[in-house]
Amino acid sequence: MADGLRLGLVLAVASVGLSLIFGVTGLTNFAHGELVTFGALVAYFLSASGVVPEIPLVAAGILAVVAGAGFGWAHETILFRPLRRRKSGNVSLIVVTIGLGLFLRNAYLILFGGRPRPFDEFTIQTAVDLGPVSLRPKDLVVMAVGACALLGVGLMLQRTRLGRGMRAVADSRDLAAASGIDVDRVILAVWVGGAALAALGGVLQGVSETVETDMGFGLLLLMFASVILGGLGTAYGAMVGGVLIGLASQVSTYWLSPKYRIGVALAVLIGAILVRPQGILGRRERVG
Amino acid sequence: MSAIAPQKLVEAESVVAGYLPGVDILTGCSLSLAVGEIVGVIGPNGAGKSTLLKAMFGLVAVRSGVVRLSGDDVTNLAANALVERGVGYVPQRENVFPSLSIEENLRMGLYLRPHAWTERFDVVTGLFPLLAERRRQRAGSLSGGERQMVAMARALMMDPTVLFLDEPSAGLSPIFQEQVFERIQQINAAGVSVVMVEQNATRCLEISHRAYVLDQGRDAYTGTGDELLGDPKVTELYLGTLAARRL
Repeated sequence: MADGLRLGLVLAVASVGLSLIFGVTGLTNFAHGELVTFGALVAYFLSASGVVPEIPLVAAGILAVVAGAGFGWAHETILFRPLRRRKSGNVSLIVVTIGLGLFLRNAYLILFGGRPRPFDEFTIQTAVDLGPVSLRPKDLVVMAVGACALLGVGLMLQRTRLGRGMRAVADSRDLAAASGIDVDRVILAVWVGGAALAALGGVLQGVSETVETDMGFGLLLLMFASVILGGLGTAYGAMVGGVLIGLASQVSTYWLSPKYRIGVALAVLIGAILVRPQGILGRRERVG
Repeated sequence: MSAIAPQKLVEAESVVAGYLPGVDILTGCSLSLAVGEIVGVIGPNGAGKSTLLKAMFGLVAVRSGVVRLSGDDVTNLAANALVERGVGYVPQRENVFPSLSIEENLRMGLYLRPHAWTERFDVVTGLFPLLAERRRQRAGSLSGGERQMVAMARALMMDPTVLFLDEPSAGLSPIFQEQVFERIQQINAAGVSVVMVEQNATRCLEISHRAYVLDQGRDAYTGTGDELLGDPKVTELYLGTLAARRL
């Protein structure tokens, strides 16, 4: 259960960007997993690779999140904004993201190698008992950082001008422009913020498990399940969906083999959307 | 109503525009709006009325022709830049942010001048008192008429000099329609010039200083509201085209 909550929080952090990017641009980003991997790889490179003078993992993690933000900026300015201006269709854009994901996974593989590697710090820890559950201290830190990040995103979306602007653009781009909002700037902010969160998700997952070149791809289906379960395009939905999917997939390993983890998560998703097609926090609008 | 002293605020000259490559919806349409006027735009479905507003507001690319605002060429200027220059726009559909509260919708209308919130909120809710009372309600839960009020209030938050209204009475009950037309006259009386596209041609012409009749992407007739109301050619064109399409 506690491990499920840990995975759920990591999924929620990583999925918020996926949901926000879908919300403001309509883009289904199949390369989002590679943004997650990017964060973990940068943190590993700076803290444990030996290629550059090593810095503490916490500092490397912060720099990885900053690098992730820059990677998101590059995604939007170099690739997706020009494609949007050329009025590329949704299917074309999905194919572009699939190709981009494939390219990045293989680039990571060439640069990093196929062997899973742990960070140097916080590798071996003894679990501590906290009432009915026992957790490693690093998992507690991962959960605390994930929860703080989600709280921060929630407050930003609810209380700040930029956050309201993001929600407005997700509701209607034309109306947002008609209100004086620079829609391109808001979309860029979503890419930067969403990619930074994905990178943070990668660092947190790397701390709990190991760093691998396909770790983000491995989480992609769970992230999609989180986003759809919570309600497509809603950041809060991705948070709730992430936690639920993480819990369901991890708790199921108590009875089932871990190889059915993703199957269980998808079964939960299918069951939930049969009952509530718009997702947990998706809303039906009044007509007339 | 009679025409008032012309000091051109908005001019569209021979505008050609459309959505799909090679398909023009507007085929050379012109319109002008003087300071203090309400200008109505009527015509059959598909005549290009809404497209004309969107082209003037930068939401549809102008392929040829010119759009001027206070004499400056603003052709194809982005919508958010036009808002900064004092133009407000209320679309026919998707006219509110449904997941945002009424207050947040109004805040979005003031996105470029957040520090003026208290002053503008008081002014705008003076026109629409119900919105202050229900400021925490989610806009997606409102009726069509209530959404139209939120939409007009949002567009007024920036204190625009010009307001473009796209079929403000569409889909509303007769009572709400009448309230909307009364509000438009109040807004105009407060100093905002208005271009209004409308399906309710009679009511539109009654409150407009001048109006244009669009047909097949061009301005076919223009005159004062009274002139057009009494012009049999307008009735023939307007009803004739509609009748032909129904056959």
